[in-house]
Amino acid sequence: MKENPKPHSIKKNSKPRSIKKNPKPRTLLNKRAIEPYIWLLPSIIMMGVLILVPIITVFQTSFSKISKAGVNKGFAKLDNYLWIFKQPAFRRTLMNTIVWTVVVVGVSTILGIILGLVLNEKFHGRKIVRAIVVFPWATALIIQSVIWKYIINADYGALNTLLLKLGIIKSNVNWTATPQMFFAWECFVGILVTVPFVTFCVLSGLQSIDASLYEAAEVDGASFWNKLFRVTLPLLMPSLTVSTVLNIIYVFNSFPIVWTISKGDPADMTHTLVTYLYKLSFTNQRVGEAAAVSVIGFMILAVCASIYMFMTLRAEKED
Amino acid sequence: MKTKKSPWSRVALYLFVFVVCIIILYPYFVMFTTAAKSNEEMYGNVLLPSVWQWSNFVDIWTEAPVFKYLLNSIIVAGGATFLAILCGIPAAYALSRMRFKGKAIFMGAVIMSQMFSPVVLLVGIYRLMTDMGLTNNLIGLILLNAAFNQAFAIWLLRGTFTSISSEMEQAAKIDGCGTVQALIRVLLPVAAPGIVTTLIFVFINSWNEYTIALTLISGDLLKPITVGINIFYGFNFIKWQYLFATSIFATIPVVILFLCIEKHLVSGLTSGGVKG
Amino acid sequence: MKKFLASLLVSAMALTLAACGGNPSSPSNGSNPSSGSGTTGGGDKTTINVIISQYGNYTQEWWTQFEKDFEAANDTVDLNIEIVSWNDIYSVVSTRIQSKQQPDILNISGFADYVADDLLMQATEYTSEEVQKKIIPSFWESNAIDGTVWALPILASCRSLFCNMDLLNEAGVTAPPTTWDEVLTACQAVKDKHGDAIVPWGLDISNDEGQAAFSYYSWNFGGGFVDGNGDWALNSDANVQAVEYIKKLIDSGYCNSAPYTDTRYPLQDAFSAGTLAMMIGPMNMVAADSTVNYQSVNIPGNGVGLGVCDQLMVFKNDAAPDQAARTEAIKAFFDFFYDCERYSDYMVFEGFLPATLDSSDNLAANAEKYKVGGSDATGNSEYFKTFCAQLPDCQFYPMQKAEWMDVRNGVIEVEQQVCQGQISAKDALDNLQANIAG
Repeated sequence: MKENPKPHSIKKNSKPRSIKKNPKPRTLLNKRAIEPYIWLLPSIIMMGVLILVPIITVFQTSFSKISKAGVNKGFAKLDNYLWIFKQPAFRRTLMNTIVWTVVVVGVSTILGIILGLVLNEKFHGRKIVRAIVVFPWATALIIQSVIWKYIINADYGALNTLLLKLGIIKSNVNWTATPQMFFAWECFVGILVTVPFVTFCVLSGLQSIDASLYEAAEVDGASFWNKLFRVTLPLLMPSLTVSTVLNIIYVFNSFPIVWTISKGDPADMTHTLVTYLYKLSFTNQRVGEAAAVSVIGFMILAVCASIYMFMTLRAEKED
Repeated sequence: MKTKKSPWSRVALYLFVFVVCIIILYPYFVMFTTAAKSNEEMYGNVLLPSVWQWSNFVDIWTEAPVFKYLLNSIIVAGGATFLAILCGIPAAYALSRMRFKGKAIFMGAVIMSQMFSPVVLLVGIYRLMTDMGLTNNLIGLILLNAAFNQAFAIWLLRGTFTSISSEMEQAAKIDGCGTVQALIRVLLPVAAPGIVTTLIFVFINSWNEYTIALTLISGDLLKPITVGINIFYGFNFIKWQYLFATSIFATIPVVILFLCIEKHLVSGLTSGGVKG
Repeated sequence: MKKFLASLLVSAMALTLAACGGNPSSPSNGSNPSSGSGTTGGGDKTTINVIISQYGNYTQEWWTQFEKDFEAANDTVDLNIEIVSWNDIYSVVSTRIQSKQQPDILNISGFADYVADDLLMQATEYTSEEVQKKIIPSFWESNAIDGTVWALPILASCRSLFCNMDLLNEAGVTAPPTTWDEVLTACQAVKDKHGDAIVPWGLDISNDEGQAAFSYYSWNFGGGFVDGNGDWALNSDANVQAVEYIKKLIDSGYCNSAPYTDTRYPLQDAFSAGTLAMMIGPMNMVAADSTVNYQSVNIPGNGVGLGVCDQLMVFKNDAAPDQAARTEAIKAFFDFFYDCERYSDYMVFEGFLPATLDSSDNLAANAEKYKVGGSDATGNSEYFKTFCAQLPDCQFYPMQKAEWMDVRNGVIEVEQQVCQGQISAKDALDNLQANIAG
C-alpha cells in the first residue's frame, strides 16, 4: 500500500479543504480541476461508447428509409414519424403504455408500502416471508412470463385445473377472452415482479427512521393512522422517490411480459411501446418506423425525467 | 412502528402475509409440479402428476448443455457486476465528494442513459459490437450489461457515499493517506451495505437480461441460461417439462445469493435511498 | 488485490478504447466476416457462415456433425454453422443485414425482400448441374421470380387435417369431416359429449402462423391469395366466406380459448396428448410416443393442402477477398448437403419431406435405415411414400411476390380484427386489398 508516497505530501495540504466543500474551487491547480473528470472517466467511456453510440444509431435510423430486408436507402425526412402518427394501433399503444406504467408502478408502490410495513413488524416466520418475497425479483422475467402464460391458459392451464379441483369453478373459465383481460393479466404479472423491489426500498427506509420519533408521537397520543401519515410516510419519501423513478423507467421499457404473454395481440390491442416497436421492426420489417417509435418513447420519458429533476432540484434548494 | 395490537390486527396481518405468500409461491408450485409431469398429463387438467417424472430433472442436463448455460450466465452476470461497480465507485465518489463543472449535466446524462431499453437499441448495439469484434462473445455481453447498469450503480453508490460523513476520510488523509487509499481503507468498508445492494441489483439485472444476449450470441455453448432455455421451444414442439425444470435450476442460484445477503440488502437500500 | 483490480480496470478500459478507436476506421466491416465468432481460422481458408433454422430438438447435433464432416472433406473451407430458432430468426437476420453482416448461406422462409434489395446471388451461380438436376422441378421453379431462381428448397412438408378418431367415435362421429358443414357438426358433437375436457378444433391465427390458417380456409372455400393471373385477390367472396367461417368456429366455442396467441405447437402437443379432437397441421405433428388413435385426411372443402417449402439462399458478399474461392466453397456446401445419403439422413432425422428426386426415391424404400432425430420424426418408408405422393397436390404461399410479407401480416391482422368483432370480414379484406394492390 506504500507505492507512491510523494503525491500524498502534495495533496495533504490542499485536499481536506475541498472535501469540506469550501466554495473555493477556483484557486485549484490545473490538475485539481481535471481530477473529478478522471474519476468519472471509466464510467463516461463505458456509457459513452456502449450506450451513446447505439442511441445515435437509433436517431439516425428514425430519419432513414430502411428497406424491408434491412438495407438503408437514404434520408427519409419525417416520413417515419408521419407514418407512425397515422396508425390507429400507435395511438392505442400509447394509451396502453400510459395505463401500463401508471397501473403497474402505482399499484406496486402501494402494495410495496403495505408489505414493507407489515414485514417490518415482528411476527413468527418473518424471516421466511422476507425470503419468499424476494422470489419474483430473483426469477428471470422471461421465466415468470412463460409460467404465467401457462397458468392462465384456459384449456389446459394450471389455474383452471386448480380452481376446478378446489370446486370453486364448475367449468373452465376463459381468462383471456378479451384483449382487456389479457392486458389485465399482464399488469398483474408486472405488479407481481415489481412489488419486491418497492418492498425492500420501504424496508430499508423504515430502518433509518429514528424510533424516538414514534415515541414522541405516542406521547402526543397519536393514533396508528396519524403516525402512518405524519411520521412514517413523509420519512419514507426519499426511498420511495428512488424506487418510483427507477420503476417508471423500467416498467415503461419492459418487454418480456407483454411479448411472452400476448405479443401485443389480439389485433394489436395489448401492445406497449416497446413490444409495438419490436413487432414493427422484426415482424413487419419497418425498421425506420420502429426507430421513430423508440425516439418518441425516449422523448416521453425525457420529459417526465426533466420534470422530476426540476422538482428535486427545487426541493434541494429549499432545504 | 410499535403500536398496541388488538388480536384482530394480528389475524389480519397473518392473513395478509399468507395470501401474499400464496400468490408469490403459486407459480413456483406450478413450475415444480409441471416439470415432473409426463407429456400427456401436461395437457390433461391434472393438478399433481400421477407418477412423478423425476427423470425430467436429470434429463435436461443431457438434453441440452444446461450446465454450460448456467456457467455462462454466472460469468456474464459476475463480470458485469464487477465491472459496473469498479467503474461506478470512482464516479459515485467524485459525484458525492467533489464539486466540478458539469456535475448536473453528468447526473442528467446518467438518468437519460436509462431511458432507452436495450430492446430499442438492438440494431445499434449489434452494429457496434460487430465493429468491436465482440459479437458472439461473453466479453461483449459483460461490457453491455455493465454499461446498462452503470447508471443504477452510480446512483445507488452516490447516495450511499453522500450519506456517510467525510470526516473519517479527512482524518485518514491527515494521517498521510492518499485519496485513493482513503477511499479504499475508510469509505468502502463503511459503505459495504450500499455496495452489496448495488452488487445484487446489477447481478440480477444481468442474470435476467434476455434480448441483447439473444441477438448477440450465436454459438450454442456461449448462450446464457435465459436464451439457452429456448432450445426447448422448437419448431414442432414445446417441452414444457424441460423448460420448467431448467427454469427452477436457473432461479436457485439467484435466490441463494439473495438469501445470503438479504440483511445487507435492507440496510443498503436505506443509505442508497437517502438522497436520490 | 488492489493492484489486480486496477489492472483489470485498465485492461477493460483499454479494450473499450481500442474498440472505440477501431470503430470509424472500418466502415466496410464485411471484410472480416468471421470477426467475433471466436475461431481464429487458418491463414488462407475461406470462411463460410451459415444460419440454419431450428427444426427439431436435435437440429444442432446434426449440423455440428455436418460441419465436422464437411471441413474434413474440404480442408480449405472454414464452415461456421449457427442454429437459430424460428422464434428469433427474422430478428436475428434483419439485425445482421442492417449491420452488413449477413451470413453467406441462410435457411429461412421467404426470399423476395432480399431479392428486391439485390442481396442474393442467383441460384445458378452456385449450384452445380448435378444438384440442379436432382431438385424436384416444381420446387426449383417455385423459387423463381420472372424466370430467375434465387433460392434452393431445403425441405418440404404438407399440412392436412388430423382427427382423433377415438374422441370422434365416442361423440358419434364415425368418419373425419370432409365438408366445412360437417366440421361444425363434428365439433358440436365433441363439445356435447366431452364438454370442457376436450377442445374440438385447434385454431392458430396468431402472428406466428396465422397466414397458414388463412390459406387452409380460403383455398378450401375456393379463394386464396392470388387470382388466375397471379395478381393479389385478397377480397374475393370466397375469402370473405372463409374468414367469416373462422369467426363462426370461435364464436361457437369450438376452438381453443386463445387462438390469437396460441401457436400451433402447444395445440399439436395437446393433440398428441389426446385432449384436442381435430386440427390442421403438418404431417409430422403427432409425437412419435403418442398413443392417440388418429387419422390424417385432406382438409375439408376442396381438399387443398398447404405445402410449406423453406429455402436456402446465398447472400452476395462484395467484400470477400476471393470471390471465386467463396463461390466454390458454397458450391461444395450444396454438393455435400444434397448428397443423397446425407440429405436422406437429414430428412428422416427431422421428419420432413425431401426436395430432391433421388432422396424421395431412396426414402420411399429405405427410410428405416436412417436415424430419427426428434420425437416428432418417423423413419418409416410408407410414410415418405404417402406424403411424397401428396406433395404435388399441395399449394404454396406466393412467396416470390414482393408484397408477400405485407400480405402475410395483413391477413393475420384481418383474421384477428374480424374475429374480435371490430370490423366485418368484407371491409377488412377490402381494406387489405386496397393497401396491397394500391
